Amino acid sequence: MSQTMPTAKQRRLRSLLFWAVPALLLLLPFATNPYTQFIANGMLISALVTLGFTLVIGNLGQLAFANTAFFGIGAYGSAILAAKLGLPWLLTIPLAGALGALGGFLASAAALRGIRSYYLAIITLAFGELMRWGYLHAKPLTGGTDGMPMPPETLFGTSFSSDTLKFYVFLAVTVLLVKATLNLMRSRFGRAVMAVRENEVATASLAIPTSRVILVTFMWSGFVVGCAGALFSRHVGYVFPESFGMLHLIASFAMVLVGGLGSVLGAVLGAVLLTALPEYLRAFPGMEELFFGLIVAAVLVLMPMGLASLLRRLSPIFVERFYREAP
Amino acid sequence: MTTLLTVEGLSVRFSGLTALDDVSFTLEEGNVRAVIGPNGAGKSTLFNAISGYVTPTSGTVHLKGQELTQLSPHAIAEQGIRRTFQNGGLFPALTVLENVLTGLHAQTEGSFLDILLGRSKALKSEAENIHRARELLKLMSMDHMADTRAGDLSGGQQRIVEIVRTVASDPPVLLLDEPAVGLSPVARDQMMQIIHRLAGEKGVGILLIEHAVELVMAAADRILVMAAGARIAEGTPDEIREDRAVLEAYLGHA
Repeated sequence: MSQTMPTAKQRRLRSLLFWAVPALLLLLPFATNPYTQFIANGMLISALVTLGFTLVIGNLGQLAFANTAFFGIGAYGSAILAAKLGLPWLLTIPLAGALGALGGFLASAAALRGIRSYYLAIITLAFGELMRWGYLHAKPLTGGTDGMPMPPETLFGTSFSSDTLKFYVFLAVTVLLVKATLNLMRSRFGRAVMAVRENEVATASLAIPTSRVILVTFMWSGFVVGCAGALFSRHVGYVFPESFGMLHLIASFAMVLVGGLGSVLGAVLGAVLLTALPEYLRAFPGMEELFFGLIVAAVLVLMPMGLASLLRRLSPIFVERFYREAP
Repeated sequence: MTTLLTVEGLSVRFSGLTALDDVSFTLEEGNVRAVIGPNGAGKSTLFNAISGYVTPTSGTVHLKGQELTQLSPHAIAEQGIRRTFQNGGLFPALTVLENVLTGLHAQTEGSFLDILLGRSKALKSEAENIHRARELLKLMSMDHMADTRAGDLSGGQQRIVEIVRTVASDPPVLLLDEPAVGLSPVARDQMMQIIHRLAGEKGVGILLIEHAVELVMAAADRILVMAAGARIAEGTPDEIREDRAVLEAYLGHA
């Protein structure tokens, strides 16, 4: 079936919308209470975590579950650089991204040795657990089970304990990384990533270096999620090993699927919905998990391609393709 | 006539089994060379050895005098030998246009950083390639299908799009692995015309594995006949038709 592509006018509207949404969000702190602000900050972090995850399991099609490892590496990396080396937190964000990319490099080593599907899944899960073991036992560096606090810091006289200030930084980082990822996906690189998923053998016959595509996808995923880790350490102000376990991985996995596997828009939508949902479900004490599970299951049964597919059916503006037509 | 591809003494052995046994031939500009033989004759192994998917045990492959023998598949493709796949090599989830664009990967300019930052260098090259891909689809009367998922095309359309994708980068040598298998007579004729046009008008050297005898006889300038991994005959279609060894080994009667 031929897909209806956005017209030139719709493409312009789309890029306008891309900047209009964050521009409107700049007003959010004026219209919200501190608690909602805290939740919104968490949504931005989850959006990046989900984005990095969906690139590897959705677009590249590799059953790799090292995502939470990248997140922990970024969070601990940021906390250690800030607390032990005294670096300003803002500077630790790209550095945490670089550490996450290094994690991506390590995780891709398994895939590049031809380890695929279930075997790659178990190896990358082990990588995550190994990292958690590291956080627990590298006590002088990480504080072990006690965790480690983020040092207090100010920017232009405002303390970073302010959720409003954090929000603006988180929003800027999120918008930049989402935009960069969209640039990547709408290019020869994004097509090569999809091509590897669809038919790796045929991909190589088109002069596409498949190993490099796999390596770079893992590293960019690690970078995005590593940056999210740096945001997280400031968000909660305290880094614990428990934050980077299976629970986090499964929650991110659910966000990827609810949003729509391999969709940038879906990653953001899934993260926003599944971060907001538990807050609304607090109205039903004792039933929260049940409702949460039912809602996730219902979305996936009714929309196996996730929320992004729903929007695509509403308007071609939301169609995500792997090339960029001149405006 | 320029010699494009030179294959000399190419052999592939898998632990005791000789899949390809000392095969030599050349392929000239604008020529179509068919490779025929019964199942298990080593035709696909020959393709895989030339395109780098199987490492030859001995022998060499040269393209315009440059040796390619030990290169990886993507490096060989970049040097100018492109191939299609017997079972179809399209990416079903990508659209027709996106599939053709993947064939222009190496022709697209801009580093990873250029792409990441959306620099004009990368965007300009992307726009040029989109234009080129659309033109190529128009030549095959497939432009109205540009936004269709490749997986939703008919078998014949998929074969054509795969060829468009494979020739998008203007490779001097093309390896076609059973391009007409499963096609209707009409689609088969269209495939014949495409092969003629690529060789005749663009001077592409084409190596063709095909079981459809009438297509082979009509399209090929020369034919290489294989059995049990080795070459048993070589010549023009008329010569091959008369060859006793071919009749005996390939057709099994004489």
